[in-house]
Amino acid sequence: MLITGDMKMADVIHLNHHLLHMINRFGIQLGFGDRTVNEVCQHYDVHADFFLQLVNTFHDPSYFPLNELQNFPPGVLVDYLHKTHQFYLEVKIPEIEELIAQLETLSGIDIDHIKLLEDFFRQYKQELTSHINKEEQRVYPYVKALENALFTQNPDMSNCDNCREYSIQQYEDDHDDVESKLFDLKNIIIKYMPAPKDSRMFNIILHELFELEKDLNNHGHIEDLILVPMVERMEKEINQLRAGNTVM
Amino acid sequence: MGRITILLIEPSFLIREGIKTLISQSGKPFNMEESETTIVNLSKLLQKTKPHIVMANPVLLTDISFPRETNDDLSQIQYVALIHGQIEPKVQGRFNFMLPLNADKPTLIKKIEEIYEACSIKNQEKESATLSERESTILKYVALGLTNNDIAERLFISSHTVMTHRKNITRKLGIKTISGLTVYAILNKLIKVEELQGTQ
Repeated sequence: MLITGDMKMADVIHLNHHLLHMINRFGIQLGFGDRTVNEVCQHYDVHADFFLQLVNTFHDPSYFPLNELQNFPPGVLVDYLHKTHQFYLEVKIPEIEELIAQLETLSGIDIDHIKLLEDFFRQYKQELTSHINKEEQRVYPYVKALENALFTQNPDMSNCDNCREYSIQQYEDDHDDVESKLFDLKNIIIKYMPAPKDSRMFNIILHELFELEKDLNNHGHIEDLILVPMVERMEKEINQLRAGNTVM
Repeated sequence: MGRITILLIEPSFLIREGIKTLISQSGKPFNMEESETTIVNLSKLLQKTKPHIVMANPVLLTDISFPRETNDDLSQIQYVALIHGQIEPKVQGRFNFMLPLNADKPTLIKKIEEIYEACSIKNQEKESATLSERESTILKYVALGLTNNDIAERLFISSHTVMTHRKNITRKLGIKTISGLTVYAILNKLIKVEELQGTQ
């Protein structure tokens, strides 16, 4: 079912509560009353069309309005991706870390096993963090500099330190190992970790890992299918601008 | 038995969605890959998706010779025709199964189960979830941080063989990364934590 601007925000949450994290990322908080999506967006000063496209992309993986999404200002997209990163590093990962640490207090559990899990999750966190930092330090400033250069029609980007020599082609697809680690962690818990008598805590952790995975997949989807083509288009425009300047 | 991949080739969005719903309700471990058309790239599509089953609108597969003779994996594919009404016997002969789109739900589910059984039998010998002795040894070395070349030298086998073993280990255990395999090896007492000192 397509989510539209005239739906009540409360109904959207009833329809798919997984969207809550995403909605929070836009700064939107609960207590919607009977306000529609459009009204809530306006209240929080959020670009409603952009919001709807992202929410629908998340809600229905087969929905992917490439052309519409690509017409949004790159800055808005980068801000969203940045907030997603913050959510992972500042909220989700510490939450899961805390849950894993709590396992030590369960009775009948082998502390050495929990240490293994903690260690594995620490490695995962490191890899995710370095992957995110790379994007934050290299890719996003580059996208913003491109946007600015096109806006001012001045192709000189030398004031952006990290942008010289950079091109989106270097944007490697190195999500791979980070993804595999998360996949492994789930299987270790599901298949191989000896479960305590009461496996509720394990269930909660698994639930969190599945949610995180879904969110990361959506994030990667947006990067690969929207951000990269968008930047390629801007690079082309900049090159045309540069070519034009030298002719003159 | 692992998951069975179905490649669905059908131009109609509604029919594709219907088939997907049917498949998910059958409760069998299927993966779906979809394509709207594409006769031209069929062999490419097969290479890419490596399906066990191809479900297709027969109209899209009439004029091509099926790549049955090609390589061994793809020759095992079960072809299922999605049929609307009558179908020429000549066309029918190309397919292993017929799925009549106007049949009722119990009939359809039964058909899906038949198709599933046909695939499970064919793929059975390839699947065994426990590691062989050789695989356990290799897993132990991987967990200890040895490279493929190190392992090849120790066991007097080629590093290519080590790679094949590692692929099988990953498929059987559902663990892809070295650190994941290490955790598995410790949990299953193939190695001790103390042995890891200095390797990571």
